[in-house]
Amino acid sequence: MKPDPTVYLNELSRLLAAEVAPRLPTTWEQAIVTRQSLLLQAAAEEFDRAAQRRVEENADLRKLFTAALPIVTDAQLHARLKAASESVDPGLLVSQLDASNRRLRSLLVNLQAHIETLQTPLAIQFDTLIWQALSRSTVRRRLSLGRF
Amino acid sequence: MAPTEDPALAGRLERWLAGQLGKRVRIADIARIAGGASRATYRFTLETGDEDAVPFPLILRLDPASSLIETERRREFAALQAFHGSSVPVPKPLWLEPDAEPIGSPFFIMQAIEHAEVSPQKLMAAPYAEHHAHIGHQKWTILGQIAAADPRALGLSDILSSGASDPVWRSELDHWEAVLDADELEPQPIQRAAIRWMRRHPPPPPSRLSVVHGDYRTGNFMVDTSGSIRAILDWEMVHLGDPLEDLAWSLNRVWCFQQDERRGGLLHRDQAIAHWEAAAGISADPVALHWWEVFASLKGQAIWLSAAREFQQQARPDSIMALAAWMMCNSQDRVTLELLGHLDPA
Repeated sequence: MKPDPTVYLNELSRLLAAEVAPRLPTTWEQAIVTRQSLLLQAAAEEFDRAAQRRVEENADLRKLFTAALPIVTDAQLHARLKAASESVDPGLLVSQLDASNRRLRSLLVNLQAHIETLQTPLAIQFDTLIWQALSRSTVRRRLSLGRF
Repeated sequence: MAPTEDPALAGRLERWLAGQLGKRVRIADIARIAGGASRATYRFTLETGDEDAVPFPLILRLDPASSLIETERRREFAALQAFHGSSVPVPKPLWLEPDAEPIGSPFFIMQAIEHAEVSPQKLMAAPYAEHHAHIGHQKWTILGQIAAADPRALGLSDILSSGASDPVWRSELDHWEAVLDADELEPQPIQRAAIRWMRRHPPPPPSRLSVVHGDYRTGNFMVDTSGSIRAILDWEMVHLGDPLEDLAWSLNRVWCFQQDERRGGLLHRDQAIAHWEAAAGISADPVALHWWEVFASLKGQAIWLSAAREFQQQARPDSIMALAAWMMCNSQDRVTLELLGHLDPA
């Protein structure tokens, strides 16, 4: 699909901020249009990386679940982690990747809560791995309009 | 004089104000102004027809059909009434109408603050930039004064009390966890871990129960070009609580508008705390403050996630909801990671 959607989105963002907003008569109208410009810019960033960051994050979580199997002491959780670690994304549509991601992140919440109860050196070490995975996820999700 | 941009609203407001004042009035212009995601805000000029009367610039705040957060307009109005005329500058509150019938929505009207700026982006630039040290000093001094104020003496104890017997940290944490439960569109492992941490490490009881503004930050006060803070705005989340809750919120890293360490884009953390302590008359216990900063990050995230849900489900398809979510959610998670010592340098 040419021109690239990212090129279009960035151009529309620029147009709204540089040429439309300054010509509007009220601050309210200018604010609305400027906001659209920022959102379009963010959409352009996300469009290009949408599949990659989701595929990477889902793979990261599955790898984490595999590593958790020897440590987890809850049988039901163990079974869910095993199944999740062996699962695959059904496709590369963003909606499909997001559905996988929601299931995996929900399981991650359960896993970390369980690990926190164990208090063994191995569990504490594994908890660090979870935090590192979470930190990586925020780097992947970062947008230039975010302040931190 | 600017034309009236919303003649239907102007007409209904004129009739209501005439009833309040017992005389014919005219609204010369009414226009929506930017700012405030929870309420629609309009500026208008009121002419009373009295000889020698100067037109009044006023602000109308309407409750929208759906809010960024559930707001309590009576409490906000009461807080403005209580602090008006004190060392805590606020716009003069004039009328509160809880009934939607007169103009289509509950509302209140307050004095407009003229010749002052509220936008954080504009406050980071000239002519305000040269006054940042002074603005920051005032910002955290005023916050300390709010913390020092006696809620009972202000007549705010009853209206702001939640009636809960739980320690304040628990009732606040329960509330915002419930918001997260209701509004998250996807799982939030970072905030869930933070909640578990907060419950395992509760803060000490507050040194006093204070009025807590609830959203005290750069972007919620107005500054004139000489660098004086003219009014503290947006009291809709006001409640009674630990004054460290307000201090922590004001220090939230998502308000670092200069993309550096300066809190609120104005002062470094230690300077802000020092000014607050001097005005509040209490020390900010570092362990307790840290807890409230982790809490502030959860509260922020719950608010941004609520915004995401409102836009996603078209309950309120205002682009400011989408912008709040996209701009803040990931940053807020990173703030929580940093506070808990788990943010890896990128």
